[in-house]
Amino acid sequence: MDEAATISSADVRSFLDLAYQFSAKSLGRMFEKEGPDGDLTLVPDLMDTAFKIGLAASPDPAAAGHDYGIWGAMTEEAGAAPSALMLAAIAETCAGAAMCLHAQGVAANLLAPAAGTLRLPRTPIRAALAIQEGPFPFPFAAIRDTDGAPHGVIRTEARAESGGYRITGRKDYVYSITGVDTFAVFTRLSGGLACFAVPADTSGLSLSDAGLRTGLRACPLHTVALNDVFVPAAARIDDGDAAGLVMRALALSWTGMAAIAVGIARGAANSARRYAAERYQGGAIIERHPAVKMLVGGSESKANAVMAALAALRPADPASPPFLKHAAELKLAATRQCAEAVSDCLQVFGGYGYMEDFGMEKRLRDATVLKSAWGPPYFLKQFIFDLDREV
Amino acid sequence: MNAGLAEQIEALKIRQSRDRLTVIGRMLVDGRDLSLWEHDTKTLPRGARIWRRRARAFARERIRPLAAMADRDPASFDPKALVGAAARKGFQTQLFVPPFGRASVTTYLRSATLPIAVIAEEFATECGGLALLLLAHNLGVVPLLLSGHVRTLVRHFLPLYFKTSWLGDSTTFAFAITEPEAGSDVESCEGAAQARLNATARPVQGGYILNGSKVFISDGAIADRITFYARIEGEGVESWTCFLIDKTMPGVSVGRHEKKMGQRAADASEIILEDVFVPKRNIVGKLRSGWPNNHNVLNYSRPVVAAMALGHGRGAFERALAFCRGAERGGRRLIECRDVQYELADMLTALAAARAMIWRACRNFRANQPLSSIAKVFASDTAVRVCNQAMELMGDAGYMHAHGVERAWRDSRLTQIYEGTNQINRYDIIEHQWDADIAADRGSALS
Repeated sequence: MDEAATISSADVRSFLDLAYQFSAKSLGRMFEKEGPDGDLTLVPDLMDTAFKIGLAASPDPAAAGHDYGIWGAMTEEAGAAPSALMLAAIAETCAGAAMCLHAQGVAANLLAPAAGTLRLPRTPIRAALAIQEGPFPFPFAAIRDTDGAPHGVIRTEARAESGGYRITGRKDYVYSITGVDTFAVFTRLSGGLACFAVPADTSGLSLSDAGLRTGLRACPLHTVALNDVFVPAAARIDDGDAAGLVMRALALSWTGMAAIAVGIARGAANSARRYAAERYQGGAIIERHPAVKMLVGGSESKANAVMAALAALRPADPASPPFLKHAAELKLAATRQCAEAVSDCLQVFGGYGYMEDFGMEKRLRDATVLKSAWGPPYFLKQFIFDLDREV
Repeated sequence: MNAGLAEQIEALKIRQSRDRLTVIGRMLVDGRDLSLWEHDTKTLPRGARIWRRRARAFARERIRPLAAMADRDPASFDPKALVGAAARKGFQTQLFVPPFGRASVTTYLRSATLPIAVIAEEFATECGGLALLLLAHNLGVVPLLLSGHVRTLVRHFLPLYFKTSWLGDSTTFAFAITEPEAGSDVESCEGAAQARLNATARPVQGGYILNGSKVFISDGAIADRITFYARIEGEGVESWTCFLIDKTMPGVSVGRHEKKMGQRAADASEIILEDVFVPKRNIVGKLRSGWPNNHNVLNYSRPVVAAMALGHGRGAFERALAFCRGAERGGRRLIECRDVQYELADMLTALAAARAMIWRACRNFRANQPLSSIAKVFASDTAVRVCNQAMELMGDAGYMHAHGVERAWRDSRLTQIYEGTNQINRYDIIEHQWDADIAADRGSALS
């Protein structure tokens, strides 16, 4: 399937080609050495490359990826499909690297409109979204379940004071590119929601590593503590109510995770096909065994169906409830379908699939994390139901 | 919920409302406040019941404290103390009755593998890797027993069991069938008939010279002895013979140590034999009896693997439940949320179904191939599903190592692969039941 053919802009198509080249050539270097997750020491340099070639978006208009990078400014015009397809291309080689660029892109997308008024510590700006508290996502507060209770509770609070705001609270599961210098922090403010650009070196802000985890290890994961952090009034990036930004953040985040999941599944299916054409068992190359055909064929179908859904995304306002609902549906369906596809592809390898050598177990770990990250299936199902009622 | 409504609901629960029944009606209500574990345990034969309680105590006391460290850094984990402790408690001699082994006589005669299966579940609940480390020994020893060969039993099996039971000896065995070019091939008849087997035995004066290698051998690095299958040189798989290899024999070496996704506390290693002389007395059973011996070993071991899978699922469930007791969402404890309760009940249902199937497969003196495979396929698929649910229930916390749920998930995934992939096990079900159930309608098929 030629996903690029569904995108009309030549510029976007060239960036998709770029993503494939970056995936195959640059990220491929990570896996020249043995290790369960590749050579993670290369990730910072690889992300530098992504900024230079314009794959990584930045809120700074002068940055190479400002327009066409993943979730760059062109997302408004071209829709979510180009960035999603770029993420899928990158995730075919390394889902963790894709997650770095995705986290950067979503934060850049939120910060970009306000970039002119923000203190820019350097260019390109490395940004991350600090939205979630605890292990479940924070959908915007207007969306309530059938009991009238908010799906998520936001405890991080901002208080207005002379010249700015004081923020106190904690944000968990903050995925980011390496070396973040600005966080987009969501808070309560006078009964509503607000979003602030908070430089990482602000007094009172501290980062701690979230700890050992199953997958997506190329992408840093932190807890961000904010202890009476002062930010100037200009750091507020919402226009008086951050509900739209919350929707935008979640919609892009979930769409991106769906895209990364499909990239992992496609990488797994390609590997399984190659292995099946070489491995001899039971008197034949194993691609001739019906069980293997069913595993690989089924996996490819799942991955391609999700890919088609991503490629079909049309320009829409990411801050709208219909897009948010669609993004939640994509995340729910794609991460589950693709994790199953990866597991089936691993099975083709038998015992070798379970070992680090062929990279299949890494793919399964990465795909499995995506199912639970920022909204597990049982949470999303209810959210989709409730959101539809609201809409 | 207001207090009045809560009180009304409480009064409607059967433990309270049964008082309105007649005496006989009340007697027909099971109002015991028992855990499902306790309820299940009470249904077991006495011998299995005792070993289930002992295994849980041992697992909690000895395995649980080591689990996270052994998974994180298996290279620096020394298993000797744990293996010794398990041997002293009788867990390593469950394949035979006293005075040689520690299996319960009455249970053994009706359900030989049942106590091992219940032990496997308890061990694997705490740690898949350490459970495999301890249980793989049985897999290495059982070919001696299933050979049904008196000289093999007298020379090798009974002395081993006597020393382990009475002297606390912790000699460890491993089972070696898988070859680099023959994984699933050695686990089904159709594959075996066309397999490319590299391990060979060449007859020489007084014994055989063995060459070849085996891969993915659980406990391969720590085992003292290995039941090693090789074909006679110039012949095919029908000549497969089981040889008892002592690690100290010249020419035996351990090759590559595999780096696995899970069950990391147990090593999976390559065993290499280069011109190893094996005396005739070390032939397990009869010459050329290796294939049926291997096949029957798998029939006995698959329900135990199923029980290990069940343990992984249960471990994930228990740790996720502990998390849900402590964590809140929207100001309520997770266990008080209906959606969470729904998921928990679904997981319990799946685990109970798998346990029933495993115990059914074990309740025969002789292992039954289709029942063993059915239990293995169902339990391993169930375990992976339950582990996934457990992780998802916890949201982002599910994939953090600190909670131990993702470890159970990683561990569980291997049970769909080893002891024959679940695809091979499905073929085995059909293969064994071909005449009785599948090929023709005998009027009573599947009924």
